[in-house]
Amino acid sequence: MEFYLPIAEMSINPIGFLILGIIVGTLSGTFGVGGGFLMTPLLIFLGIPPTIAVASEANHIVGSSLSGTIGHLRRKAVDIRMGNVLLAGGILGSFLGIYIFNSLKQVGLVDLLITASYFLFLTAIGLFMLYESLDSLGYFGHKKRSRYYHHSWIMGLPLKIRFKRSGLYISLIPPYIIGFIVGIFSSIMGVGGGFIIIPAMIYILRMPTNVVVGTSLYQIIFITSFVTILHASTNQSVDIILALILLLGGAIGAQIGVRLSSKLNGAWLRIALSILVLAVGLIMASELIIKPDNVIKIISGSNL
Amino acid sequence: MIKKLLIPIFSIFILMGQMPPNIIIDENEKDIRIKPNIAGTEVVLYGAMPSGKKDIIIEVVGPARNISLEEKRRIYGFWLGLGRAEYFQVPSYYNIMSSRKLSEIADQSVFDKLRLGVTNLPLGNAKISNSNTSQNIFNKNLKKYMLDKGQFKIGENEIIVKSGPGKVGIFSTEFLLPSNSYQGKYFVRYFIFQNGEFISYAENKIDLKQAGFSRAIWLTATNFPLLYGILAVILSGSLGWLISTIFRRLKIS
Repeated sequence: MEFYLPIAEMSINPIGFLILGIIVGTLSGTFGVGGGFLMTPLLIFLGIPPTIAVASEANHIVGSSLSGTIGHLRRKAVDIRMGNVLLAGGILGSFLGIYIFNSLKQVGLVDLLITASYFLFLTAIGLFMLYESLDSLGYFGHKKRSRYYHHSWIMGLPLKIRFKRSGLYISLIPPYIIGFIVGIFSSIMGVGGGFIIIPAMIYILRMPTNVVVGTSLYQIIFITSFVTILHASTNQSVDIILALILLLGGAIGAQIGVRLSSKLNGAWLRIALSILVLAVGLIMASELIIKPDNVIKIISGSNL
Repeated sequence: MIKKLLIPIFSIFILMGQMPPNIIIDENEKDIRIKPNIAGTEVVLYGAMPSGKKDIIIEVVGPARNISLEEKRRIYGFWLGLGRAEYFQVPSYYNIMSSRKLSEIADQSVFDKLRLGVTNLPLGNAKISNSNTSQNIFNKNLKKYMLDKGQFKIGENEIIVKSGPGKVGIFSTEFLLPSNSYQGKYFVRYFIFQNGEFISYAENKIDLKQAGFSRAIWLTATNFPLLYGILAVILSGSLGWLISTIFRRLKIS
């Protein structure tokens, strides 16, 4: 059986991509990460042009984050006000991200931008996760962090408002800036940005961990919707068929992952995931350095 | 079905009691059988030709399209795609079908003279920027790519020739225009060969009016990009919502 991807202009085996969706979905369900930062590189390895991988993955995350948010909303684990502030920054950031993306696409450097961003982020996250999981196994002499005290510079900022569900009274500025930065990377990398925003919420904003994932997912729905529309309307690289196949597989995987996560040892799993993340980052970088099989390739049949 | 349509053609020759001097095809494009389905559009080509030791080659050339290629070069140790070749007149579809292996039908020099085959297919002038590579090299890569993707096809032995009544041969072949095929005119050229020499020629065309499923998605994405983006978000969001609802129901029951 073969499926034709109308925008990527290639035939794929839908079962293979469904399985890919299930595997990444399982990982994201197990670890509570969105999975975009693994899916986009994997799509590129499988031969989907990088621009289409990024835009279609953003489209895929719209559905998967909406699916995830519903569960968190039911458990009242979403700080909607905080989500909205992050989102306001994110929308501005995604405009800037799309502008950078399309400018570099014009001069043929967008693949470099995507690959380099992934290499840097995957290496950073992989090392951070490795450190954290080894730390929790007691390798580095654990220090207990207090969440009740913010860094003094954050407390000193103006425009303070109350975030009821998070139990915080802080300035609008830090979440707005965090949202802005995530928005840029969301449009360049085709990710929701959970892997940046979740640590930022915990370590910078000091939000309680029980609302972190829900709030992150909530704002991701809107950011990725916005990024999808921007990519579709400026460079026509959203492949809806690809996004829907991945979504179907991812949803099944997420359910498996949630059940798995309660049965497995978290720290060792995190070590495994961090090694996987580091490996994907390295393979990504090697594509830039190793001579490609064919130096000439098709970049667009569609949008001239 | 094909036989029924061919009866009028044959009856002429049978009445005349002689071999047709030439290839006979239905000039009326409405009579080429076109059957749209999910995979694309099935096309059946048929006609009459003089019987005997003769070969037939049919070439189908689809409407022109744009394509751009990128050439990677090593700069500061990184492979960057900076070179560009932009094409504006590449056939979106090409298919060469024959009754025997092409190499058995005639020499390559004969095909070259007739401008037949993938190697002789013109791709139009490309606008090359930021690269010193000649268009020939880009052309070769593009043709290889189109062959790999199935947009260009070589269908040797795909035409069936049967001897009909009298000295008439019936040829027929069918092929699939994939669901991403461009709408417009597909030129069909028929070549008859005998003993390695070209003896007779005819042409007609297929007008593909209805876009296939994949092509319709592509057209929406290109012509109504904002609408397409909004639709993509709605579709992905509704599927996500549907999935979460289904799993919630399953847990309860």
